[in-house]
Amino acid sequence: MFDLVHLTVNSLAVANVHGLANITISYFDMILDYLVAIIVSIIIALILRVPLMPSDRYSFDVSAIFPTPIIAMGVLSFFLVLNYTFAFNGLLLAVIIGVCSALFVKYLFYYVFPSPEGGDDK
Amino acid sequence: MNEIIGLILAAIVCWLNFVIVDTYFGLPEQPGVKGARIIGESVKKRKGDIAGGFFQGNILCSPDASAGTLMASIGYLVLGIPGGIIAAFLVFIGNRLCADPGYAGTTGSLTATVLIFIFSFIGLTPEMFIVGMVIAILTVQGIDQVRASIILGKIAEKFNRHAEE
Repeated sequence: MFDLVHLTVNSLAVANVHGLANITISYFDMILDYLVAIIVSIIIALILRVPLMPSDRYSFDVSAIFPTPIIAMGVLSFFLVLNYTFAFNGLLLAVIIGVCSALFVKYLFYYVFPSPEGGDDK
Repeated sequence: MNEIIGLILAAIVCWLNFVIVDTYFGLPEQPGVKGARIIGESVKKRKGDIAGGFFQGNILCSPDASAGTLMASIGYLVLGIPGGIIAAFLVFIGNRLCADPGYAGTTGSLTATVLIFIFSFIGLTPEMFIVGMVIAILTVQGIDQVRASIILGKIAEKFNRHAEE
């Protein structure tokens, strides 16, 4: 039933358990990179005076908890699956991405994703 | 694991994941966009539950935890755990393009990635989760919208997220 899927996809990612054949750094380093990216992005966002938590469940405001770490983790994942880990098993990359995602959330976010105005159906 | 048993189990896990995450983040409470309100009122006219209708309208109009679970399964199949996280990132971008804050979709993708990782130890594969998620969405949107909305409304009441109308 799934043979076609297996053939198609596994030709892209051969001989791996979790699809991580590309990645040459160890699991421990990967987890460490993710943690560093999350923590650095939150701390830099707080230094830039982005609020820690969103005000309620429907607000479009950015905050340090959401979406800063999501952006940092997502961008770091792109680098990891392409195996561009640079120095220190990806630690340097994680720090740079954390700083950049915090800067993006603070200064560029509303330019890229403007919050809807007047179209709200409340 | 047997494919059919795996599919059923994956469908149940996906259904619970996306209904709980979506209900917690308040999808039944209010329609995010006009289309969701129209679907909710149409379901209510057919003797359904308004909160369940808003839920169905919201998951139709923007990528919430349902789309997040599906995207995370596909990402996990192709790229492993980083693929699930990339799916969360892409779902967040899609959410913002659909005028949705994006809490439910992102959280749903991340929880789905964790669940797929946990269930991979008992032999459930990401493919089963993809098919299971399609089945789970079919039970909510496809088979009987009115009865599904009543069940979703009851769940919303349990979470204290029922629409105030």
